Amino acid sequence: MNNDFLLLMPMLLVGIGGIGLMIASTYESITHERMAISGMGLFGVAFLFQLGNTVAHPTIPYEQVFNGMLVVSDFTRASGMIILGCGLATCMSAYTYFKQNPFCTSEFYSLIAFSACGMLLLTMAQELISVFIALEIMSLAIYILVGYNRQSQTATEAVLKYLMLGAFAGAFFTMGAALIYGGAGSTKFTEISASISANGYAGNAALIGGSFLVIVAFLFKVAAFPFHAWVTDVYEGASTPITGFMATALKTAVFAVFANFLVLNNGLHEGWINGLFYISILTMFVGNLVAIGQESLKRMLAASGIVHSGYLLIALVAINTEQFTGGVIAYYLAAYSVGTLGIFAALSYLGGEDEKRMNFADFKGLAKVRPYSAAAITIFLLSMAGIPPTAGFMGKFYIITSAISAGQIALAVFGIISSILSMWYYLRLIVNMYFHDAVDTFETDTCHKMAPVCTMVLALCVFAIGLYPIII
Amino acid sequence: MVHLAKKSIKKGALDIMFADWLFILFTVCAVLGAAGLVSFRHPMNSAMSFVVTLISLAGLYALLSAKLIFATQLIVYAGAIMSLIIFIIMFLNIQNEDLPVEEGRLKNMTIGAVLIAPIGLFLMKVVKQIPGSDTVVVDPNFGGVKEVGQLLFSKWLLPFEIVSILLLVALVGAVVLAGKRGINK
Repeated sequence: MNNDFLLLMPMLLVGIGGIGLMIASTYESITHERMAISGMGLFGVAFLFQLGNTVAHPTIPYEQVFNGMLVVSDFTRASGMIILGCGLATCMSAYTYFKQNPFCTSEFYSLIAFSACGMLLLTMAQELISVFIALEIMSLAIYILVGYNRQSQTATEAVLKYLMLGAFAGAFFTMGAALIYGGAGSTKFTEISASISANGYAGNAALIGGSFLVIVAFLFKVAAFPFHAWVTDVYEGASTPITGFMATALKTAVFAVFANFLVLNNGLHEGWINGLFYISILTMFVGNLVAIGQESLKRMLAASGIVHSGYLLIALVAINTEQFTGGVIAYYLAAYSVGTLGIFAALSYLGGEDEKRMNFADFKGLAKVRPYSAAAITIFLLSMAGIPPTAGFMGKFYIITSAISAGQIALAVFGIISSILSMWYYLRLIVNMYFHDAVDTFETDTCHKMAPVCTMVLALCVFAIGLYPIII
Repeated sequence: MVHLAKKSIKKGALDIMFADWLFILFTVCAVLGAAGLVSFRHPMNSAMSFVVTLISLAGLYALLSAKLIFATQLIVYAGAIMSLIIFIIMFLNIQNEDLPVEEGRLKNMTIGAVLIAPIGLFLMKVVKQIPGSDTVVVDPNFGGVKEVGQLLFSKWLLPFEIVSILLLVALVGAVVLAGKRGINK
């Protein structure tokens, strides 16, 4: 009983902390700097609790009370740690970002906490209605955070596009859940699995249609082909720390629930292997095409996020439903999150007032003026491109070996080709930073070191995560 | 005796037929209302058309003997929320000349219909194959406040509780997006 409480502690902490921050934001005397520091404390403590939890085998906390709708496993623990770490880094970079872009109100941090709470629920939920509500908690908070800057037209455009398309995805999910209920007689993952084992999957049209619609909703949320068109506009419109949060924490949560849904039964997974095979290849290559044409860094990173979704889809194709640990997916998500968050933390302080530096050309000669920042960005880019000994290399290595051991040689080959293509736009920024003379002085508000510190810590994390499997 | 039994069977069959007709009536109204919602040009007409959908849905719930849901659907959705929306539209006093000019409306609608048609056909095929179940006479208390409450607080406690966070997020969001512009408070 006690252990159950500890397992849910991170989620409860973040949820209650979000309510606390919301109440605190009504006081005039509480500045947004203090809120940022409390947000960091909240995520830090929740992260430590999540780190301290040990889950040897999947456990169902409060099985009687919650009717077995939440399941905690090593996979959910790892994805929860990634989400909480992302929250911490986002609070740190937002602290510095809002020094140069003054549109913050103190509710900002409570919304981040609420969305993290929704994400943690999403990773653990094993029932379609709970999944839907958790998905909406997360998305609603993110919509508001995207549109936070009401002065900016791009932010308004972004929030409108995201809200409309997100509502569509939500509607698809509900329709899918209803059809699955029609086909299997339950919305709980265990009972759907039992129904598939008893009656088969291939002959049940309602189950096929329902899982199709549910998967469409997930593919939309992770910006996989053909539901990727929104991602560049939305990432560009959102403020930099929020773009980083969306690109990492949201993706982690959705991939966690996607994996949980696919592994609920072997029949379901087998039915979707072919579809996911083509989607992952198209996602990787379309993402690369979109990324190569971009001039804005945020748009390039958005498009590279599409490519990374493609790699994660390879991992989903290759998962073993019988002995699912999610290790490969969680490791890749951690590696990808550290790299992406690092770049967005660096952009948060290098972007300057009103995000004036956002294009490739704006970063010419950064290495001459700010060598440490340039070195950190280089580490992140190399990690995302998959150069050893960074975390990104190990992540891709695991994904490709898992694809080969699952017999998906073609996918492994396409993954390697796509990773070589992606060097083009990662190296382009490195070339801009190192092999050009500086035109800009890159002056920033120097008395707030929070985002630079976050960037350096994340740069160390890239190596720490990269070397972790070798040392252990 | 035999005669009576025959009569009651006939009556039962008639009842089922009647329920079927009601079902068809409500579904057609619900779909027409939804179509009106998206195709009317003036927001007021769209809102009124949406009321039709909500009331038809309430009718469908009543056919399923879900008393409480039927009542809340009427009171909360058709009553409270829709009248609020209509009040807001009336406050804004939208005239025809305030509405944006939509060019190529028919073309867009046709393209949309063509694109959606395969999905619609697919869904029809799916819905046809949903395994049916025997109709049973439900308990007279089915769908009452007590029964729904017990189910909600025992089996469905988790979704019920986390909806509160969802509502809280929506509330904070409304304050943030529509409230006074605070700058780095």
